[in-house]
Amino acid sequence: MPEGVAESAAGRWRRRSLDLLGRNLSVVVLALLCLISSAATWREQNPITSRSGAAVARQVLEACQAPCSVLVVARDTEGDRVFVQAIEQGLDAAGARIAGRVFGQPRDVRLELERVAGAGGSLDAIATHRIASEWGPVRTAGTPVFAPRSYHWPTFLTARNLLNVVNQNADIAIIALGMTLVILTAGIDLSVGSLLALAGVIAAVAAQEWFGGAAASPAGLLAAMLLGVAAAALGGLLSGTMVTAFRVPPFVATLGLMMLARGLALILAVGHQRRLVGGGAEGTPEAVRVDAAAFAWLGNGAVLGVPNPIVLMLVLFVAAHLLMTRTMFGRYVYAVGGNVEAARLSGAPVTAVLLAVYCLCGAFAGLAGIVDASRFEGGRPNAGELYELQVIAAVVVGGASLAGGRGRIAGTLIGAMIIAVIQNGLNIAGVASYEQKVVFGALILAAVLLDRLQPRLRRSRRKSL
Amino acid sequence: MNRALAGTLAVVLVFALGACGGADPGAGEGGEDTAARGTIGFSAMTLKNPFFKIIADTMTAEAERHGFDVVVTDAERDVNRQSQQVDNFLASGVAAIVLNPVDRIAIGPAVRRANEAGVPVFTSDLQAVAEGVEVAGHVGTDNYQGGLLAGEAMIEALGEAGGQVLVLHFKQANSCVLRVDGFRHAIGAYNRDRTEGRIEIVAELEGGGLRDEGYRAMADGIQAYPDLAGVFAINDPSALGARTALEQAGRADQVKIVGFDGELAGKQAIRDGKIYADPIQYPDRMGVMTVRNIVSYLDGEDFERVHLIPTALYRQADAEQDPALD
Repeated sequence: MPEGVAESAAGRWRRRSLDLLGRNLSVVVLALLCLISSAATWREQNPITSRSGAAVARQVLEACQAPCSVLVVARDTEGDRVFVQAIEQGLDAAGARIAGRVFGQPRDVRLELERVAGAGGSLDAIATHRIASEWGPVRTAGTPVFAPRSYHWPTFLTARNLLNVVNQNADIAIIALGMTLVILTAGIDLSVGSLLALAGVIAAVAAQEWFGGAAASPAGLLAAMLLGVAAAALGGLLSGTMVTAFRVPPFVATLGLMMLARGLALILAVGHQRRLVGGGAEGTPEAVRVDAAAFAWLGNGAVLGVPNPIVLMLVLFVAAHLLMTRTMFGRYVYAVGGNVEAARLSGAPVTAVLLAVYCLCGAFAGLAGIVDASRFEGGRPNAGELYELQVIAAVVVGGASLAGGRGRIAGTLIGAMIIAVIQNGLNIAGVASYEQKVVFGALILAAVLLDRLQPRLRRSRRKSL
Repeated sequence: MNRALAGTLAVVLVFALGACGGADPGAGEGGEDTAARGTIGFSAMTLKNPFFKIIADTMTAEAERHGFDVVVTDAERDVNRQSQQVDNFLASGVAAIVLNPVDRIAIGPAVRRANEAGVPVFTSDLQAVAEGVEVAGHVGTDNYQGGLLAGEAMIEALGEAGGQVLVLHFKQANSCVLRVDGFRHAIGAYNRDRTEGRIEIVAELEGGGLRDEGYRAMADGIQAYPDLAGVFAINDPSALGARTALEQAGRADQVKIVGFDGELAGKQAIRDGKIYADPIQYPDRMGVMTVRNIVSYLDGEDFERVHLIPTALYRQADAEQDPALD
């Protein structure tokens, strides 16, 4: 090939940019997906903020003269209260009269209108937001209605939705961390979904039966949660032992554990329900409810507006990234996955590394299980079904090779987010889940194809130099 | 090298276009916000069961009449998916949310988030019982009454001989628990004053409410209880699965099946004598009533907060005169 001999500057630039693109393909795909999701969800947005409240007040004052009697209508939510406060401040400053105020449902508006009419009052304007302006009583009141102007913006790119996207998939991402380690050693773990359920159910049953139920202290709840994580880690240790000591293929060992753990989760949950109703009544495989309100904090609380599962996910990712790039353990994991025999000969503790990897994977699944149980305020024996496939998809899409030895923690984070964005984008665009499955399938095939092509790419690059 | 890279890029682009092509028609569906009064988000239990598909379709038709769009999503029996769908509805600013709660307790936090966002939640078919959540309205079947009717049908089918009866359950759904409670009550009342020809409920097997799981459970049931005289399956898919298992074992003539729902395939099976009878539900009325409740809510009118529709027994004679079966 003459290309290596005399390459023009433009050619070199083109080659370099293509190279860069190839190395960061998953980032490019993620960006592209965000773009597509934004375009597909370009919708009318209705602002309910203190600024839009002030704007409504100005609209009202422009349209009607100073002793103007206004009814303010909003729902009984925190956001609406801020909005109404801004409206009222604006109106008060100009001396308009607030004839009435509704925080509630359409029915409350009807009753308030009846009350105002019954008291012989008259209304010059109704100030509200776009949503309530569609309510029957507001529309038929025969009074001018003022609401903030709506604007167009992608629903995908709203703060609420972006937090949703990450939050909904934080559990998948957390498990994908552990799965990345396992896949780096050329293994696979099918038991993660079941371990998730087992950890959640154990934590819930422990919180209810051993640590005081509704009166459980935060320390007791923490202990219950740790118990769940420990059980899942123990499950991982079991499959690790099968893989190392008995040379069972990881696929088979973890398949067995997958069924075992799911069965245990169901037995524990049904047993708990049976003890609840008492006697010989059959239990149902419903969620094991945790009565202590603090239990829900991990899954539903937020730190500075960021939902806890996201915070936990980010902390774990940073920790795992450091573990894999800065420590001896990380180097061992890559070595074992690259070539077991070579790793053994060069003195890497192969057995210990494999045991640790499966144990960690189980623990991560357990953590995700605790997040799930907390999010649903109870341990669900049916939680995490088919999660193993979503998690493996995230890792593979993130660029890890199923043959082991190649893959990055950061890649897995991007892989998990790619899957999350596809799911969410298609969901808010209103695409049925069947089409989503087709897209997922195509995505995984594309990722694997890329994985196949990459060694060839590298070889040809070396040749051309 | 460039060729290989171009190839991979092409794959990614094809996939991206696939995603785009998939999203476009949906955006048109849910994105029309000009003429309509708003959007109703519906998270169905599972659209694989025609029962919920009918609820979705009648809701969509009725909502259109009142100027609303309906976005239908399939929770696929996964409460995690269902609560994600609720969050997505909240993010896209729907006027109301309708659920067939997959798990009546675990759906609680999602309903609470809707409450906090001021979006009314309505349930159909199944009720949510989580504490501290507000459900604006419910329309469902009177499942306990339906269970009683199923018991009566079984008594009628077995006649004076009585015999052993198996229940194909789906315990995860509380509606099914109520059906089986009603069924047991009717059978118990029948047995109370007789020593001969009693009907004995020998087991409750998990049929998953699905055709394949019902088939497997029934196949096992035939082995375990060779003297079986009847089966009560909590819905039509599992009843049809049971029928297949009985036919394969050559026992279809000896074991009478009572189903539940009255979906099209079930009614056809009743006409053909494959199922003895069904207490039938009215998913179409459920869909219409739910939408009317939503409209009443948004218009500030009073409406019945919990509305239970009674079932009616549907036998072969009814099927023969049913204009829907041709």
